[in-house]
Amino acid sequence: MAVGIDLGSRAVKLVEYDGAAITRRQAFDTAAFYRDFGRLKDGTLEVDFAGIGINPAGRLTVTGYGRNTIKVVGAKVVSEVKAHTVGAVRQSGLKDFTLLDIGGQDSKVMKVSGGAMEDFAMNDKCAASSGRYIENMAAILAMPLDELSRHFTNPVRLSATCAIFGESEIIQKVAEGVPAEEIAAGVNLTIVKRVLPMLARYPDGPVVFSGGVARNTAVARLIQETTGRKVVTLPEPTFNGALGCALLS
Amino acid sequence: MEKVGFTTTIPVEAVFAGGHRPIDLNNIFIMADDPAAMLEVAEAEGLPRTTCGWIKGLYISAREVETDAIIAVTQGDCSNTHALMELWQADGRRIIPFAFPYDRDRDLLKLQVHKLIDALGTTEEATIKAFDRLRSIRAKLRRLDALTVDGKVTGAENHIWLVSSSDMNGDADIFEAELDLFLTEAGKRDSIADTGTVRLAYIGVPPIFNNLYEILQGAGGHVVLNEVQRQFSMPYDSPDLYSQYAKYTYPYDVFGRIADIKEQAALRHADGVIHYCQSFCFRAMEDLLIRRGVKLPMLTIEGDRPGPVDARTRIRLEGFVEMLRDRKERR
Repeated sequence: MAVGIDLGSRAVKLVEYDGAAITRRQAFDTAAFYRDFGRLKDGTLEVDFAGIGINPAGRLTVTGYGRNTIKVVGAKVVSEVKAHTVGAVRQSGLKDFTLLDIGGQDSKVMKVSGGAMEDFAMNDKCAASSGRYIENMAAILAMPLDELSRHFTNPVRLSATCAIFGESEIIQKVAEGVPAEEIAAGVNLTIVKRVLPMLARYPDGPVVFSGGVARNTAVARLIQETTGRKVVTLPEPTFNGALGCALLS
Repeated sequence: MEKVGFTTTIPVEAVFAGGHRPIDLNNIFIMADDPAAMLEVAEAEGLPRTTCGWIKGLYISAREVETDAIIAVTQGDCSNTHALMELWQADGRRIIPFAFPYDRDRDLLKLQVHKLIDALGTTEEATIKAFDRLRSIRAKLRRLDALTVDGKVTGAENHIWLVSSSDMNGDADIFEAELDLFLTEAGKRDSIADTGTVRLAYIGVPPIFNNLYEILQGAGGHVVLNEVQRQFSMPYDSPDLYSQYAKYTYPYDVFGRIADIKEQAALRHADGVIHYCQSFCFRAMEDLLIRRGVKLPMLTIEGDRPGPVDARTRIRLEGFVEMLRDRKERR
């Protein structure tokens, strides 16, 4: 059994893979994960893998933000870009594509050729092109995330220079009487505009979409409309990095 | 002897010729015990958080070293320097402006150097003598750079020596003696680079981070080129002072820098490029021109305040080195 863990900024994702299929997938809130399963030992945070039902003697690979701050005994450590590439090649069955990953606090684009990563680009120091931005805006609109993720028509123009200050802009649009659906579409288009320069760097092949935001069908559709490229959303977008880790175990 | 500070690399030969002690304020700032505290002081006085960390650091550094005069580069660096000059002027500091002509006009450059010579109370003859004196040190720095390519000098050591060459730590004789000792020792080392080592070109202004090279080395990368630091050392064996400062790429247009990066990255067999941009710096706009010109995998990173590399940048650096290693192994 191979285990892959993606220690993300918003969620910790875990996948068990038996060599043919995913046999377990689980996501934990990052802060709760460290609180419930982490323990400080000799100044470093160790994870109690037995506590989450993982055989610590098994093959384990980790990636993500947390990989440098916590000690995972016996685990192999790989970069996020590599884990995502490996996961996406397996999930999509494709060898040549541009991989777009939009996660909780960042977004990245990888150029994949012949099944291997050739180059990658990442967003600048700003959460405005991440899932966090969508979450915040959904909260302000008092709209469930699932619903916000469906709207793409008549998007209102938002400047969205910041995932926090974007909130006051949304409030202003609500006050102006702009329909919530159009504001939601505007939020989705804003994310797309933020990742377009990165996608433009690697203009070839379809766009394979991973990360939590890939569940947002409006974003996928808007990417397809604005780039004219085919967008392939992975079956398990959230667990793609963790699956890649398991495959590298 | 007066303490003459400066905001970026200038014809330091004129400072030595005048019998003064040159002080690169950037080095004072970044090598201070607590450079981050200097930024806090500057911000507490009212400088914006959204301004270059180096500028704020220079502002406080000049005060701490009690400079007698400061050579401020008004053209060839950034417009933030203008406001910095005004702040210093308001503090009662003596400012000597210096401008690198945008188009490398030799006459204008000569005029600027002459004005600098006058301001420092020296002569062209004495400055040329200083040029000849420093020329032999610059040759030794080229040797140090070559040893870096060979893997006998680390990217971090290369960085420190080359940035220190802007003011030769204030004393050319001591600097040369220390350099001689270092070169003798480094020449005897085994190379840290083998065929599997990822060879990196670092471009952009020197990093504000204090552990960037450590992280790259830890990830298995060897920095074989420090672009701007190398430029600070005046790496060309120029026949005269004016040619030397006309060939120096940093203060002029980005195209000269791109040509230099391409040439040096190829000569040193770099596998990839790390482009460092300072937060809020105009040079971030040049990233796209550099990407168009330099056809190597490139990771652009951004630093704001002094201290260790943040977790986010760190995983990017490690991911980049890992990707380059995988690419290398596939070929």
